[in-house]
Amino acid sequence: MSNIAGKAYAMNVITPIRWYTAWLNKLIFWVALQRPATLKGLITLSLIHYARWVIIGRDQFPHVHPSQPRETLKYSYMLFFSNFNGSWDQYVDSFTFAIPSGLDMFWKWNVRYSKSVSLTPFHKYIRYNQLDTLHYYNAYPLATSNDVKSARIVKAKLLDFDSATRDASDDDFAKQYRTLLRDLQHDLGDMYPTPIVSMSAYQVERRQRWHEGQLDGSKH
Amino acid sequence: MTYQLDLLDIQGNVLRAYGRFRYPAARYVFFNIRDGAKGRAFVAALTRRVTTAVQWGEGPDKLPPPEWTLNVAFNYQGLKELDLPRESLIGFSPEFVAGMKDRKDILGDDGPSAPEHWDPIWQHNRETREHDVHIFVSINGLMPLPKDAKPAAVQAAVNDAKARVEAGYRWLLEQVAAQQGGVALLGGHRGDNGELLDYQDVQAVLENGVPTSKEHFGYTDGIGDPVFEGVPYDAERINGRGKQLANGQWAPLAAGEFLLGHTDEALEYPPAPSPLLLARNGTYMIYRKLHENVGTFERYLDEHGQRYPGGKELLAAKFVGRWRDNGAPIVKAWDDASKARFDADYKAADGHGKDQLLSNFTYDEDMSGGRCPFSAHIRRINPRASLEFTRDEQDPAKVCGAFSVSEGAFDTPGALANRRRVLRRGLPYGTVKDRSRDDGNHGIIIMMLNADINRQFEFVQQQWINYGNDFKAGNDKEILLGNHSQSEHFPSKAVLQVDPASDDAPYILPRLPRFVETRGGEYFFVPSLTALRMIAAGTVDPT
Ligand code: HEM
Repeated sequence: MSNIAGKAYAMNVITPIRWYTAWLNKLIFWVALQRPATLKGLITLSLIHYARWVIIGRDQFPHVHPSQPRETLKYSYMLFFSNFNGSWDQYVDSFTFAIPSGLDMFWKWNVRYSKSVSLTPFHKYIRYNQLDTLHYYNAYPLATSNDVKSARIVKAKLLDFDSATRDASDDDFAKQYRTLLRDLQHDLGDMYPTPIVSMSAYQVERRQRWHEGQLDGSKH
Repeated sequence: MTYQLDLLDIQGNVLRAYGRFRYPAARYVFFNIRDGAKGRAFVAALTRRVTTAVQWGEGPDKLPPPEWTLNVAFNYQGLKELDLPRESLIGFSPEFVAGMKDRKDILGDDGPSAPEHWDPIWQHNRETREHDVHIFVSINGLMPLPKDAKPAAVQAAVNDAKARVEAGYRWLLEQVAAQQGGVALLGGHRGDNGELLDYQDVQAVLENGVPTSKEHFGYTDGIGDPVFEGVPYDAERINGRGKQLANGQWAPLAAGEFLLGHTDEALEYPPAPSPLLLARNGTYMIYRKLHENVGTFERYLDEHGQRYPGGKELLAAKFVGRWRDNGAPIVKAWDDASKARFDADYKAADGHGKDQLLSNFTYDEDMSGGRCPFSAHIRRINPRASLEFTRDEQDPAKVCGAFSVSEGAFDTPGALANRRRVLRRGLPYGTVKDRSRDDGNHGIIIMMLNADINRQFEFVQQQWINYGNDFKAGNDKEILLGNHSQSEHFPSKAVLQVDPASDDAPYILPRLPRFVETRGGEYFFVPSLTALRMIAAGTVDPT
């Protein structure tokens, strides 16, 4: 099991919601999508690769084979699925520090939701309802969501610069080069491995590397 | 401020940076407990002399400042040796239990900062029972008011302060002797000539014998320090030091960010051991000995000072976010003209005015970092409200090196910084005899206090000093403290941003060397007076 791959953490949280209030949540999601301002806080946090909220009706769980027993569920469920950069604490804490009212709006009708402030009951609520990730693959383990956005920008700017300066005089080239660097002054961060997420995750990683013969025997 | 703290129950070093209260010299001493009962008797003796946070001065509820202060803290092993019940011990935070050495991979203490290069006392700590550090004691000496402002008189006063530290130390040794081997002093602090000393001495850097607020790189220090609820002597210091509100005003932080048993910014009590009386009014302290590579610093600054368009002193200011001479924040003084205006205002201001000029600022007018770079020491360590920032990224053509305030994005603008603040204590150690060399004995003993080591100090150290993603700077580290890469092929660098509306190019600091290296340290718990008495009496009982 690992919820971590490179600089990304995968979080799946599934929480019960009464079937007769589920439509309210759908309405809230719909309004949020229409009015991007509601997601401003989330976007400003900028540590999320991808996040999604889905309401799964109590009849909507997959029934993949006739031999699978039918189940009768009391609740519908809300699935929250997020891929973010940093540690669990950092992520959950950023949420409760920065956008507690937004969180409360999304989870308000979930059964036994604790509200996002104070912190400890909220931590517990997420922990108890989180499903650990069994398999997690990351094609660009060194890249955070910020790095991906910067890379796109650097590429586009470089191509533009290249075509714009092909026939430029020396002076003009120098001026445009300064402009290029200035435009990119927030997109030139180094990309190296992630700082260790926690001591336990780090120890797991070291043990794995030792089993794979990549570490000597002294410390594992 | 309506919130009231029990000043007689809180240790004085928690609420006061003694350096600011005319205590320019101090000594830190560490002990190993050989016998639990005698250890408790030792703690009892110290407790009777411990300096509290009571107000100093004349008049009701006030006491004169002591000639020397005394404060006490314990690490996890120490609390164990003092026989705290297991049920209390398990309530301390995991990182406190593990200790600083064990957390080196979180803190980035690698290469020359790795524990094998620490002072012997810290190398040997938590290796064998006999060499474990258990108790921390600090003694600060009060400087009498000098007869006049002449250097000779000031020098005499500084010497008096040092003599008072010595007096406190002699008293301390008597208490050790009284326990007849029950507690042992642990030596092993490297001194000026590589000799090993029984204590760590610190003192303000002197210029012509007069104490300054400088550290060894030449920066003015000791300005920024969080202000929280209920500290009477900080009532005038809230602006720029508390938390930044949406309406542009400042408020003191919640006491629970710095003291256990009080509600914090998340409206709850920080995690703490039980019983409540053990935890309440206590806090965690991070002790770190940081060596300053003065020679490397001078060479790097000289080399790039010649190339950097703004010149050497502005470049030095960019490293930290403040000018070296008077500590002017570069967001207020970003070029020669604005610096001259600042200096004139500063000269004309009274004491409080000066303090406000230095401390009361935000990054709101500098969201792109053209004045204070994103990798500068103080912007990384206390970004104030500047993490509430954004830009339009959908269309690369619109990207122009600028960020703007993402107004109203967060419930409060300082949301991402308010829970990451640390109180700062301590003083420089050693003297610089040769500014071209790294290997002298010079640096800072820094002590940070906070309610949650992992959430506050370790987070800042790991995520903001040794990593840059929150500042959209990838793996770029903070310039002054970052554990910059030693690799030939992947050296560290930093970007000094420019005003997006200018015609300039950002300046790239290439091949950043390590200016600062760790020489040791540990996590301690600073109990309240009540808790000290309970620990000494052996009556801690969480039932
Ligand atoms: C040798 C190492 C260090 C040096 C030379 C140094 C120097 C400075 C200087 C010159 C300032 C500006 C003056 C002021 O605002 O008071 C400052 C501020 C500060 N430093 Fe350091 N520092 C060092 C290590 C650290 C460490 C390890 C931390 C904590 C992780 C730290 C935390 C702070 C904080 C919290 C501020 C105030 C920031 C603000 O509130 O704006 N420093 N330091």
